[in-house]
Amino acid sequence: MLSENTVKEIGLIRSKYHDAQSSLLPALYVVQREHGWLSPEALKEVGEILNVPKAEVKGVSTFYAMFRHKPIGRHLIQLCTNVACMIMGSENLLNILKDRYGLEPNGTTVDGRFSLVVMECIGACGTAPAMLVDTDFHDNLTEKRITEILESYK
Amino acid sequence: MITVTINRKKINLEKPVTILKAARMAGIEIPTLCNHEMLEPFGGCRLCLVEIEKMPRLQTSCTQYVTDGMVVWTETEKVVEARKAMLEFLLINHALDCPYCDKAGECDLQDVTAKYGPATGRFAEGKRRHPESFDDPIIVRNMERCISCTRCVRMCSKVQGAYAISMVNRSSKTFVEPFSGGRYDCEYCGNCLTVCPVGAIMSRMHRHTYRPWQIEKEADTVCSFCGVGCSMVLQVRGNSIVRAVPRETGGSNKGLLCNRGRFGYDYVVSSGRLDSPMIKRDGKFRRASWSEAFTYIAGRLKKIKEDSGGNSIAGIVSGRCTNEDGYVFQKFMRAVLGSNNIDSVASFGYAQAQRFFEGIFGQGVTANSMRGIPNSDGVFVVGGDPTAVNPVLGLQIRAAAGKGVPVTAVGYMPGLKIFAANRPMPKPFTETALLSAMVTELRNIKGISGKGLFDKLIKDIPPVSLGEAEEVCGVPSKDIRSAVDALSRMTNPSIVIGMDIIRRTEGQANLLLLAALVSLLNSRIYLLSELPNEQGLTDMGCLPDMLPGGRHLTVESFRRRYEEFFGVDIPSSPGMGIMEMIEAAHDKKIKALYVMGEDLVYSMPDSAYVKAALSKLDFLVMHDIFMTETAGLADVVIPSLSWSEKEGSYTNLERRMQIVRKAVEGKGMEEWRAVSEISRLLGFNMDYKSSGDVIAEIAKVSPLHKDITYEDMTGECMWPYKGEPLRHGISLEDIEMPDKGSLLKRPEKDRIYIGVDKPLFHFETLSRNSEALSSIAPEPYMNVGKALAGRLFLAEGDSANVSTAAGSLKLSVRVDPDIPDNSVMVPDNFGDKGVYAIMQWKVNSALKAPVTDAEGVTIKKMKHAAEEVAV
Amino acid sequence: MEKILLRNIENPDSADINEYIKAGGYKALLKALEFKPADIVGEVRKSGIRGRGGAGFPTGMKWAFASADPKKPRYILCNADEGEPGTFKDRPILEKNPHLLIEGMIISGYALEAEYGYIYLRGEYPAAKGILNAAVEQAYEKGYLGDNILGKGVRLHLSVHQGAGAYICGEETALIESLEGKRGQPRIKPPFPVNEGFLSKPTVINNVETLANIPYIIEIGADAYAAIGSPDCPGPKLFSVSGHVKRPGVYELPMGVSLRDIIYNHSGGILDDKKLKAVIPGGISTPILPADAIDCPMDFVNMPKHGSMLGSGAVMVFDETVDLVKICYRAIKFFEHESCGKCTPCREGVGWMRAILERISGGSGTAGDIDLLIEVSNNITGKTFCPLGDGAAMTAQNFIKHFRNEFEKKINNGSVKRAA
Ligand SMILES: Cc1cc2nc3c(=O)[nH]c(=O)nc-3n(C[C@H](O)[C@H](O)[C@H](O)COP(=O)(O)O)c2cc1C
Ligand code: SF4
Ligand code: FES
Repeated sequence: MLSENTVKEIGLIRSKYHDAQSSLLPALYVVQREHGWLSPEALKEVGEILNVPKAEVKGVSTFYAMFRHKPIGRHLIQLCTNVACMIMGSENLLNILKDRYGLEPNGTTVDGRFSLVVMECIGACGTAPAMLVDTDFHDNLTEKRITEILESYK
Repeated sequence: MITVTINRKKINLEKPVTILKAARMAGIEIPTLCNHEMLEPFGGCRLCLVEIEKMPRLQTSCTQYVTDGMVVWTETEKVVEARKAMLEFLLINHALDCPYCDKAGECDLQDVTAKYGPATGRFAEGKRRHPESFDDPIIVRNMERCISCTRCVRMCSKVQGAYAISMVNRSSKTFVEPFSGGRYDCEYCGNCLTVCPVGAIMSRMHRHTYRPWQIEKEADTVCSFCGVGCSMVLQVRGNSIVRAVPRETGGSNKGLLCNRGRFGYDYVVSSGRLDSPMIKRDGKFRRASWSEAFTYIAGRLKKIKEDSGGNSIAGIVSGRCTNEDGYVFQKFMRAVLGSNNIDSVASFGYAQAQRFFEGIFGQGVTANSMRGIPNSDGVFVVGGDPTAVNPVLGLQIRAAAGKGVPVTAVGYMPGLKIFAANRPMPKPFTETALLSAMVTELRNIKGISGKGLFDKLIKDIPPVSLGEAEEVCGVPSKDIRSAVDALSRMTNPSIVIGMDIIRRTEGQANLLLLAALVSLLNSRIYLLSELPNEQGLTDMGCLPDMLPGGRHLTVESFRRRYEEFFGVDIPSSPGMGIMEMIEAAHDKKIKALYVMGEDLVYSMPDSAYVKAALSKLDFLVMHDIFMTETAGLADVVIPSLSWSEKEGSYTNLERRMQIVRKAVEGKGMEEWRAVSEISRLLGFNMDYKSSGDVIAEIAKVSPLHKDITYEDMTGECMWPYKGEPLRHGISLEDIEMPDKGSLLKRPEKDRIYIGVDKPLFHFETLSRNSEALSSIAPEPYMNVGKALAGRLFLAEGDSANVSTAAGSLKLSVRVDPDIPDNSVMVPDNFGDKGVYAIMQWKVNSALKAPVTDAEGVTIKKMKHAAEEVAV
Repeated sequence: MEKILLRNIENPDSADINEYIKAGGYKALLKALEFKPADIVGEVRKSGIRGRGGAGFPTGMKWAFASADPKKPRYILCNADEGEPGTFKDRPILEKNPHLLIEGMIISGYALEAEYGYIYLRGEYPAAKGILNAAVEQAYEKGYLGDNILGKGVRLHLSVHQGAGAYICGEETALIESLEGKRGQPRIKPPFPVNEGFLSKPTVINNVETLANIPYIIEIGADAYAAIGSPDCPGPKLFSVSGHVKRPGVYELPMGVSLRDIIYNHSGGILDDKKLKAVIPGGISTPILPADAIDCPMDFVNMPKHGSMLGSGAVMVFDETVDLVKICYRAIKFFEHESCGKCTPCREGVGWMRAILERISGGSGTAGDIDLLIEVSNNITGKTFCPLGDGAAMTAQNFIKHFRNEFEKKINNGSVKRAA
């Protein structure tokens, strides 16, 4: 069930567009922010609010890599592995995440603290390697920095 | 004028079309996979690439429009190489299981690969794995065969408007899925099956039962479920129908079908089919020979006619009977038995509406081509959900909406929910107030001269203000206002009328108001027709006061014409309508009732009352394909043929005359044939050898059907095909002006009303005997609004007992926020009993139609199926 | 060169409207509002500016098409999807100079008589979202946005719309689909967005950097603007430099600056003074260039003559140590992941290319694999629905063209290893 606030926020977003379906992506973001992921029930509810058929909502939401369709951990690490980050060491960072946290791409730590998603270019090539943790940007990552940074997410 | 050269062939065109179309017009085949004539171009499969001079890249012929002077090559080496490459790509992930796949033999991919494809693919890695999904009772999905052409999804969303499936994920991980990922939550139109070029989406009904090349016979016929009369082809192997598919072109449906038409045919082989005449003696049926049965019927009818007169005999025809059945039967009743007591369920509203509008605007005014709907500039719908009653007509409304035409849908219409720009939701049975306010407003906006005969009447309709209407029907004034504003801007709208609006105490006022709207808006009328031949039966004179060709019995000259033709006199005063017949049976005023295929106990209000009435008859004859509850009460039961086992004609709601053809052999007999046999035994010779003979006679006597032959009925034959021009109406004597009070009748406070829901998946006896349809929708339900559900502590999936003074039904609960408060919607036709069973017996005396708006309902939650909980 | 697009960004508060105004911001708007819309279109046309999103289409021409279509409302969309790997040039504008973009959009909206605008921002820039939203809000407060801009009876409503991780949504018609809440797949053209774009109405889509140039064109006039940089391709240009250079980052330089200059002068040369091996000059879908081919003027007109393309101006520098086969594999893997799935050659073919490269890169390639890879990529080229598939094919083709020996070495080493 979507919270009253979420429903209200979706209503507000709706008013910015001349057509209800245009507010679908922003609405899904609001829901994902609340729940961490987009459950089938949530997709259905968003569809009902915006008068967009639920199958259509699902088709749309699954097209986009940043929408999650499975529950995730408390914090989402989105680590870039595209060319610039790759040559600047992102593969090594992946190993570290695996060794230290047992984190595999698309996996979640046993304690539910972190989930990891491997990203295509996140626009930080000049300060590669880089990652997003939730909505925070971290770049110029090194072995040391990444663990320090992650330790600040509980 | 555009001239394009394709493979050296010059093609002249009036307007630009795609290269693909131009090529096809010139007989040049270009292979395609994602393109389909019923769908918008997509350009995804890239198989239709062609070379165009002066263009460096190959272009997709399905998306590229021709221009004057363009030179196109469709089979150059470069093109053929590209096609081969595309096929090699497609085969990367497409399962190579043709020997096992049901689509083999009619698979587009198989065909083009045979023609252009590489001998072997060079892709070495494993294919995508995706287990076949059997989660659905009807549709099996095999995504290892999907080629992402999206034809099914485009069909489902853009044409059907069901939006039940979508492409999920992206890149090569894309596939097609219903929302649940398993079972479909859809309209089961199966139109996705029509367009899937490979074996990715298939019907389970004929899984592994035959191969396309094993089809022995195809019967080009029309569907027998509703009044749209979709053209379809029944494919037969042995003596059984293996598949029903739409005919690609022509008819009213142009390649579309609904769930009932596509999957519901399996009632034909239901184990409950009657296979022999039965005569009841001492309360028990026993099998009888045909001649025994006919002799028995003739004898009993003769006796009753002699003892009590022809007027003590009545006949009812089913809306599934053909024109031939209807014609012969009314002749039998009138000429042989001397009774005008003949009617059908068309008189549950359809016939009355038709008569009302024809009286004002002229003959044929209610029967218009469905294709006109998307061409109108606005659609107004009231009285029932067209997408459920007449699904393929409903699609035309959706198509209109898709083109941006504003649709106003009054009342509960789930199938138009996302399509209607305006959805006023009046309180139960208060549409009259809403319509009155609309007429009042439009009258002000449009102005009327008051000179024309009908204009005078419009002028006299008591004015109802928006505020008054709002108070009664609960629709906010501003919503009525915006609906009116939208309508007033239209120049050629369509008004679609469901029968619920007529089966009311205020039925006649509603008709008048609708006629006023039609007149003020200059709109076309569409009447929803629940049965395949309601229109045909009224045309054939299966009405107590009308003769074939829509001619009034009481008009001496018309009657004479038929009397001369029949060679006998027919009674000159109108007979009893279907509602009166039941009452007369109750009062023992009629002694014998001859029913052709109508399960009266099921389809009429108050089943207990109807049963009691039928039990009082001296003699009840029943033709049917099943031993229905009504048949169980009969003295003689004659097995009928299902629509796939006989030949005849239907006239659809557009007045399109089409032929039903025999696909398989059945064990019953056509009604017209049986009736002619009985007629002969009664000394009146009816010498028809075939249904063609009957049509020939109709073509001679009915002015509307003059000179029509079977050959004419190719799908585009609308009466008056060669017949007399249609007559103009303006007979207003019968129209009573309603007083303001009746326009503003409000629902009683705290009373729960029962409304008739039209389920998409069911239609009377037939669908109940269809395994396929029953597997889609196994149990009857009630729809209840959120507020009422809350007050009654009902949740989705609960069982509840819904009762009225006339009886009760146990139903599972569905909660739908769109249902107006204080009402429940109950389907009229599936399960053991439909909603009519518990409607009180009430007749609108002016329309002689049932009234369904008077119910006080109690609803009790049941803890388990059997137990009731007091709430 | 004086900084135009990155003006004032060292100021930590550069995103604030007051700072922007203090540095001379929103003056161009005032000036623009003195002109007639058609005159602004004419001015932009005269300036010769080409779109900075990658294709280099003349902006003035695009605007003229949209202005000629009578349908209303019209929309102005800013393409801030910045998805081309290697590209991060729009980010400093979005994060540090959002009002420049907004001012550009207001002028564009006025010129095109478009009353509604959206900034389609990639989902991977959450910080920019906050900054842009705040900036838009400030612009409303100051009366630069709304129903009656600066009391001049001009209307523009602007909002930020966040994408959700799909490179293809940078393609303009896919972007529109996405903005309409649909799957981001490209549309059939024609009709072009200028006639039937967002919600089927005339729509102009421009890249962030393109729009950020507009105020400057108005400020200094078309003629002065046309004098900057290359003659056929004028103006300042942002280059994002990444990989093995000493000072990676975004550089604002005149169009036509040489690639060598960018690498060795502005970016400080190769990291650790190693040898340069190859450069991808314009983002991952532009052809890779070997070290000896970097004396080329970086603009839309000249780069094709030198075997590559300007693209988004994303210079990716590879030193002698890199494994180019692996980079090629990674690049194709990117395209496979981002293929929208609409057309056969891209959906299926790019995956196949990836599979072959995975084999080669992993040491299990066989002798025929390079030719097979070329053949598969040739079968894609020119047959896809949109340029994404072409880009993938071209990427692999150029890696092989210039560095075939590296692929061969991988295959040989692999078979030697397997034999041992
Ligand atoms: C696959 C693909 C991805 C693209 N990505 C972007 C992008 O991220 N940003 C961008 O501005 N343009 C991108 N483009 C170019 C746009 O389609 C379009 O040409 C551009 O936004 C027009 O703006 P401009 O004229 O200002 O350059 C992309 C094109 C393709 C084919
Ligand atoms: S080339 Fe085809 S599949 Fe690839 S992104 Fe473009 S349209 Fe989609
Ligand atoms: S038929 Fe033209 S691309 Fe598929």
